[in-house]
Amino acid sequence: MQIDFDILENSIRNLRRAGTRTLLTLIGVIIGIAAIVSLLSIGQGLNVAVEKQFENLGTNTIFVIPGASSMGYSPVKLTDNDISRIEAIRGVESAVPVYVSAAIMEYNGQKINVQVHSADGEKASIFENTGFLDVSEGRTLTKNDSSGIMIGDKIAKTYFDKEINIRKIVSINGEPFTVVGIMKPQAQSFGGGLDTGTAVFMSLEAFNKIASNIFPSVIFVKVDSGSDVSYAADEIKDMLDKKYGDDSIMVSSSEDLLDQVNVMLGLITLVVAGIGGISLIVGGIGIMNSMITAVLERTKEIGLMKALGAANQRILVMFILEAGFIGMIGGVIGMLLGYGLSLLISIIGTESGFALTAVINPEITLGALAFSMIIGIASGLLPAIRAANLDPVVALRYE
Amino acid sequence: MKSGEMVRLHKVSKIYGIDEVQINALDNVDLSIHSNEYVSIMGPSGSGKTTLLDVITTMMKPTSGEVFIEGVPTTKMSNTELATFRGKKIGFIFQTFNLLPKLTAIENVITPMWINSVPREEREEKAKSLLEEVGLGDRMHNRPNQLSGGQKQRVAIARALAMDPNIIVADEPTGNLDSKSGLHVMEILRHLHEDERRTVIVVTHDESIGKQAERRIFIKDGKIVGSKGDGKKVSQLD
Repeated sequence: MQIDFDILENSIRNLRRAGTRTLLTLIGVIIGIAAIVSLLSIGQGLNVAVEKQFENLGTNTIFVIPGASSMGYSPVKLTDNDISRIEAIRGVESAVPVYVSAAIMEYNGQKINVQVHSADGEKASIFENTGFLDVSEGRTLTKNDSSGIMIGDKIAKTYFDKEINIRKIVSINGEPFTVVGIMKPQAQSFGGGLDTGTAVFMSLEAFNKIASNIFPSVIFVKVDSGSDVSYAADEIKDMLDKKYGDDSIMVSSSEDLLDQVNVMLGLITLVVAGIGGISLIVGGIGIMNSMITAVLERTKEIGLMKALGAANQRILVMFILEAGFIGMIGGVIGMLLGYGLSLLISIIGTESGFALTAVINPEITLGALAFSMIIGIASGLLPAIRAANLDPVVALRYE
Repeated sequence: MKSGEMVRLHKVSKIYGIDEVQINALDNVDLSIHSNEYVSIMGPSGSGKTTLLDVITTMMKPTSGEVFIEGVPTTKMSNTELATFRGKKIGFIFQTFNLLPKLTAIENVITPMWINSVPREEREEKAKSLLEEVGLGDRMHNRPNQLSGGQKQRVAIARALAMDPNIIVADEPTGNLDSKSGLHVMEILRHLHEDERRTVIVVTHDESIGKQAERRIFIKDGKIVGSKGDGKKVSQLD
């Protein structure tokens, strides 16, 4: 098909002629596309961030969490015996229980509630090189460190009126401890749910001094590399279900968790982008409104064009092109704006500790462009058909 | 003179309205206009003269009857075929000029040329020479609101000639003009007929305008009631 430059030129001229109306219509499309693009871009960024975190933990980790849900109070108290039995399962390399307790931390005469985490120092090497417990100042805990603790960067810097530095003495539930390390500011954690910035870490020996009647809140099970992770997870679940009842314990591999989190994130992204999509539909209605106005305004002109020899199809193409142009131009500007917005959000997010990257990929880019053009053309179709089918005599004498 | 027949209407009727209220705008009209004839169609308002013009220009299809332009039957043509046909055969001049207000004089004259796919390189030359011909060589880049009524109508005439049509149709061409501009426009129409040998059809209710044609056709209540001119009396119909 030969490109009809005359119609193209005429459509562009008509859009420019409509000036303000074209601009306002464009803004509607721009907002819709910018919303969709930025939300999808940030959504994909979240996915990438989550996957990175799970990569750090490794894919051969199984989480055993008392309670069917990871949230809320759980009545099941896992015992040392359970841990031994988990470690006896084929393929399991180690099972590290993590204990959690609320405690009161006192420094410089000020008291704050904190969460204290503890793991068996003998086995805690599971966390090494995970990026999970890195310090920015001082050192990590040594085995059986009974008086040293690591504290989150937020506790150190912002919780107390006076900043806590390395080697300061703080009191937790009345017991004195020396701060040996301050955690690196952590990228927001997803799925694992642990914000190391607001946590205190200590050895099990130390933990026994401040908390009584302790039981693990989560058990990290590491599987031998080469062993079947899902087999081990099934075995652990079977064993615990028999003892405590079905679904009283959540057993998930890191891959399971990653999948779940990704499904959830995907859903959220979809819903949010859907809301953006609604605004684009509103933009489309704007195009339709603008085109209907244009057809009314130019009725006489359409009649004249028909008198001068313009076939119905050409009038149709002319109006569809005008609507399509609004869609396309709005799409390009909206996309640039959307990417700009998501970059800005990711910069602000990263500054304030969220690991957010704006993902720019061809799927979103082309998809958004195609979508906005389709919306434009679809919105222009009805007014264009109306224009094309105008009776030339009636149109020509229209006042 | 069948071979020189430019327009022929055969038993053409046009009925407006449906159900009970029906208006016979054209009632079984037979009409023949030969090549290079200068014809005026006259009649009071509501007589059907505008409908007759719409049918002749193929802008409107009759309810019944046949319309031949240069011997070609047009009533069976599709809308697209008609538009293309009309664009090349008929030049329009309107009472209200119908210039596109945002376009300059030359752009208005170019409009029918792009619509009818005249090659780009030919358009501007042609538009320029047409505007010069109607005495607007110095007004080519003015917009309609910068032109007087007479000048606007001359731009419209240049536009009507852009596709070099055999038939020029003018609907009350002087209706919105002062008498001096009106005379100028009528002078151009006479020139198109006499010197360029085109067929000119003017619709008017103005006796003095109508008289300038070779033949006057009178229409009333959708019927041609008489015809006068140049000694060639055409037989009265009904």
